[in-house]
Amino acid sequence: MSQTAAATAVPRRTKAPTGMSLFFYRLGKSLQTPTPYLTLFGVALWLFTWWLLCEGLRVDRFDKIPGPVAVSKDLFSPTPFQGISIYTQEYYDHILVSCRRILIAFSIATGVGVPLGLFMGWSRRIRDYAFPILETLRPIPILAWVPLSILMFPGFEAPVIFLATLASLFVTTLNTMLGVDSIDEAYFRAAGCLGSSNWDIFKNVVVPGALPFIFTGLQISIGVAWFSLVAAEMVSGDLGLGYLIVDSYMNNVTVPMVIGMITLGFVGWVTSMLVRMLGNWLMQWHVKALALQGR
Amino acid sequence: MNISTPVASEGAKPMAANEGRGALSIRNVTKIYDPEGVNVMAVDNCSMEIAAGEVCMIVGPSGCGKTTLLNAIAGFHSITEGEILLDNELLCGPSKPKADQGAERMVVFQHGALFPWKTLAENVAYGPIVQGKLRKRQALEKASDMLAEAGLGDVVTKYPGEVSSGMSRRAEIVRALINDPKVLLLDEPYRAMDALTKSIMHESLLETYDRTKVTIFFITHDLEEAIFLGDKVHVVTTRPCQLKKTVEVNIPRPRSYETQSSEQFRLLMDEVNEAVHEEAIKAFQAGERELA
Repeated sequence: MSQTAAATAVPRRTKAPTGMSLFFYRLGKSLQTPTPYLTLFGVALWLFTWWLLCEGLRVDRFDKIPGPVAVSKDLFSPTPFQGISIYTQEYYDHILVSCRRILIAFSIATGVGVPLGLFMGWSRRIRDYAFPILETLRPIPILAWVPLSILMFPGFEAPVIFLATLASLFVTTLNTMLGVDSIDEAYFRAAGCLGSSNWDIFKNVVVPGALPFIFTGLQISIGVAWFSLVAAEMVSGDLGLGYLIVDSYMNNVTVPMVIGMITLGFVGWVTSMLVRMLGNWLMQWHVKALALQGR
Repeated sequence: MNISTPVASEGAKPMAANEGRGALSIRNVTKIYDPEGVNVMAVDNCSMEIAAGEVCMIVGPSGCGKTTLLNAIAGFHSITEGEILLDNELLCGPSKPKADQGAERMVVFQHGALFPWKTLAENVAYGPIVQGKLRKRQALEKASDMLAEAGLGDVVTKYPGEVSSGMSRRAEIVRALINDPKVLLLDEPYRAMDALTKSIMHESLLETYDRTKVTIFFITHDLEEAIFLGDKVHVVTTRPCQLKKTVEVNIPRPRSYETQSSEQFRLLMDEVNEAVHEEAIKAFQAGERELA
C-alpha cells in the first residue's frame, strides 16, 4: 500500500465514546451483528407457531386455547371482553402485588443468604453447623412447604412471601458458599502476608472474591423466587399474577390466563436483567477482564 | 523509566538501602506431609545461610519441595523439624512449628496474586492501609508514586485483568516493596512469561535490587535466570529437598543483559547445569506429581 493511501484513510478513533455517543456506537455495532435479526425472527416464528396451532389450523384441543390474535385484541382493548387489559387497573394491581412480594422475599433471601453463605464458605466451623441442615431442607419442594406455611403464618401475604423467600434463600446461600470456595488460596495468603486482620480479609478478599458467584446465584434465585411465588399464589392468595392465572382458569376465562403467563415471563425477565445490571455495575473489574477476553 | 529520581511524597520513607537486615538461616529443616496416611518427605534436613542483602537463587527439579521451603519461611505452613531464623529471631522452630505471617517477609506468587477486584494502585496501597501505617489517601499517593517509579505510571487506575502479565508482576513486586520488607520471597514469578518479557523483568528486578538491596529468596527452574540475577545459586536435590551444591556467582553488579554472553557466565552455566541435570533425571524417573 502506498503512503498516500494510508494518509487519506478514515481517521482512527483514539478515544472511547461516552454518554449518548457510546449508546449509538453500541447500537450501531449490535445492528451489524446477526443477533437482533435472529431474535426478531425467533419471536416471530414462535408467535406464528402459536397462531397456527390455536387459530390458523385450530388443532384439536388447542382450539380451546386463545391464540395470539385473541390475546392481543383483549390485551390492547380499553374494553376487554374477558376483563383484563393494559387499560384496566386490575392488571396493574396483579403485577404490583406480585412485584412487591418478590421485592420483599428477594431482599430477605439476599440479606440472610449472602452473609450466611459467606460465613459458611469462610469458616469451617460455621459450615459444619449449618451445611447438613441446609442440604436436608433444600431438596424439599416448595409446594410441600405450603401447608406448613399456612399453619405458621396468618393471612395471605406472609405465607406467600415465606415460600418465595425460602426457595431463593437456598440458591443464594449455596452459590455464595461456592463463591468463597472458588477464591484462589493465593489471595488469602497474599492478604495475610500484607498484614491483614481477619476482618480485613473478609472485607477485601472473601466478599469481592465471591461476588461473581453471588450474582450468578442472585440471578437464579430471583427466577426461583418468581417460580415459587406463583406456585404459592395459586394455592393461597387474593391477588397477584399466579392468582390471576388460576382464578381465570377456574372462571373459564382463558385470555386473562394467557395474559398472566406472558406478563409473568416478561416481568421475570426484567427483574433478572436488573440483577445482572447491578452485578455488572458492582464488578467493573470482572466485566473489564471478560471484555478483554472478547466476551 | 524514571528510577534515578526517588519521589519524596508525604509520609513516604526514602528508599534506604536494606543493609544489615534480612539475614535468613534455614537450619536442618524437615517437612513431612501426611496426605491420606502416607508420609511424604518434601524437605529433608535442609540447611542454608542467606546473608543480609543477598540474592539467593534456589534451583531444582519440579516438585522437589522448593515451594514447601518458601511457604515455611512465609508462614503459610508448618515445618516438622528444624528451625528458620530471620536476623537471629526465631520464625519457626521445635517449639513453634508455624511462623506468623508478617510484612517483613513478602511473597510474590507463582501465578500472581494481585487482587483482581482492586486497581493496581489500590493493590499496592493495601498493605500500608491494613497495617495502619498510612491513611488511605496517603497510601494511594505513595502507591501511585512507587508504581510510576517502576514504569507503571499510566496504568495505576487499571485492574490487574486489564494489563499485561509483565506489568502485573512488576506491580506485585511494588506491592511487596512498599511494605519495606526484610526479605522478598519469589516463587518462580516469571515462569509463564515469554523470553522477551522475561528479559525485561530481569533487568527491572536487578534495578530494584540495586536500589533497595533487599534480601531475595528466588525459586526458579531457569538456570540463566538464576545466574544472571543471583549472588549464590543453591542447587537442591529432587524430593526430598536437600542442598546439593552452592555456586557462587561472582559477576560484579550492576549487571546488564550483555553479561549473559560472557565467558564467565558460560562457565557458571555449565557448573550449575551439571548439578541440576542429574537431579532432573532422578525427578523425571520418580515421575511424581508436584506437591502444592
